[in-house]
Amino acid sequence: MQSLYVEGNSAMHRLSPRVKLLSLAIFSVVLFISTDIALLSIAMLLAAVVYGIVGLPLRDALRRLRPVFLTIAVVAFFNLIFNPWHDAVVTLLRLTTLMLLAAAVTATTTITQFIDEVTALARPLERTGWVQPDDIGLSLGLVLRFVPEVIDRYQAIREAHRARGLKVRPTTVLAPLIILTLRDADNIAAAIDARRIRRHVS
Amino acid sequence: MSTRDLVLTALFAAIIVALGLLPPITLGFIPVPITAQSLGVMMAGVVLGARRGAIAVLIVLALVAAGQPVLSGGRGGLAIFASPSAGFLIGWIFAAFVTGYLSERLVNHQQSGLVQGVSFFLAAVIGCIAVLYAFGITYLATAGGMGFQKAFVGSMAFIPGDVIKAFVAALLGRAVMVGYPLLPARA
Amino acid sequence: MDIRFEGAGVSFGARVALEPLTLGISGKRIGVIGLNGSGKTTFARLINGLTKPSVGRVTVNGRDMADEKAAAPDVGFIFQSPQNQIILPIVRDDIAFGLKRRGFTKTEIEAKVDGVLARFGAQALADRRAHELSGGELQVAALCSVLATGPSILILDEPTNQLDLKNRALVEKIITGLPESAIVITHDLDLVADFERVLLFHEGRLAADAPAAEAIARYREIAA
Repeated sequence: MQSLYVEGNSAMHRLSPRVKLLSLAIFSVVLFISTDIALLSIAMLLAAVVYGIVGLPLRDALRRLRPVFLTIAVVAFFNLIFNPWHDAVVTLLRLTTLMLLAAAVTATTTITQFIDEVTALARPLERTGWVQPDDIGLSLGLVLRFVPEVIDRYQAIREAHRARGLKVRPTTVLAPLIILTLRDADNIAAAIDARRIRRHVS
Repeated sequence: MSTRDLVLTALFAAIIVALGLLPPITLGFIPVPITAQSLGVMMAGVVLGARRGAIAVLIVLALVAAGQPVLSGGRGGLAIFASPSAGFLIGWIFAAFVTGYLSERLVNHQQSGLVQGVSFFLAAVIGCIAVLYAFGITYLATAGGMGFQKAFVGSMAFIPGDVIKAFVAALLGRAVMVGYPLLPARA
Repeated sequence: MDIRFEGAGVSFGARVALEPLTLGISGKRIGVIGLNGSGKTTFARLINGLTKPSVGRVTVNGRDMADEKAAAPDVGFIFQSPQNQIILPIVRDDIAFGLKRRGFTKTEIEAKVDGVLARFGAQALADRRAHELSGGELQVAALCSVLATGPSILILDEPTNQLDLKNRALVEKIITGLPESAIVITHDLDLVADFERVLLFHEGRLAADAPAAEAIARYREIAA
């Protein structure tokens, strides 16, 4: 599973992850408050520049945005037909700007940096007992660790089907997939607890 | 959260991710392949219950935000949340929660397979269709600028597919309950 | 090591997994054998605090293992399933994760990770993905993860059960060379054949507590 991070040394890369994420949050709010088309157009152009300096070749840069932009464009198209054009253009500009800024942050922030930031953000909550910040990194790590195993298991179940001449159907494949995968939970949990990785746990 | 629950939610998140990476599966009774990832979200609620199901989905979305292309079709990254359809994504969390909540309340081991199946179906429809579309349509109407009427009409086309998925989720829920019952959630 | 069982027993509801047991364990190598369900795994899990006694008490080096605040990783535990012990995608990250929040700097953690891998000549595993490793490599990685925090006692619960012959030999060699005290639970009697002390469990009770040859002979009688 390839991450969407892009190696590089652009200005965006050199900004700290915290600054990027906080700025993105603040800009999102500002973008949603603003309804001035001129301002939003400038914002969109600037966002495009920011995305551009990240260092992706043009084709890859565009390909990444395609699924999101397609939806934005289709919705904008319908809005233009049925709703006041001013609102439609504002929405188009606003969402496109957001998309470009968000894509720039994603391309210049590694998953480790992201997890570290979210963990730091959650640290104040540790005292409430609501959430253990270190559990965040552990959970995400566990998922990335076991996705390939789940896929292997799926292939094995499919092959077993073929060997018995059965057709692959959701009910006959997904049920064993879920059951067999979840059955490992106790062993994995025991290994984690034996290493005393989590504090304040019963 | 007990370590066992943490691992259960992470493993289910892994299942949801895997379902996005695997090719669509064909149903027997209609020749249309279903993309199983949203089915996975229904199953999270049905199998794990409200809290764990919602957290499993939250973990998947956290991975998306962290820049992993784990949504079906290899989509991912923070840009996804700029889409007008982002409400359907955030709504997944609440959908799984409601489906899980209803599954926990409606289903027990004394019931016949048919009753359990119907209950799971209801849980899936109310949670992963009614509640999910409420979030999705609201966001589409407001941030997407479509207005409620257009957003509602535009989203209706996807309902039949999701109803079929809810049906599959009910069958699966019953099968998983027989093999590895996790409801009601142990403390 | 100094492990003491003081009338420690475990029941799950009506089912008695381990009858109250009183004994002391010290020394370098202890073997634990017995049929499935004989209580040997319950016994082992009492020592590292994974299971709490229903009656009585277990202390390790003076520390009551049921006490959450006091329980520190004096005791490492290796499980039989190689895949389910490495919990992060890359081996190095998994080993480092166990060292988090113990007050080490990043450099110190890196040094410890490299150090523990070097003990087994396994530096090549550091940047490998767990998914791509063989059973034996995974068990070595698990050993590194567990030993990185410096436990003085290591419990190995059927460590070679899921390994092929070559990997089994590798793990056996590692166990022989461990400076830490080791308690080895196993069906593979060759692993413990030259241990000074072997405990045999049967139906939740200690059926033999003797040098390897005698305990194994008794085991064969029971199993026949």
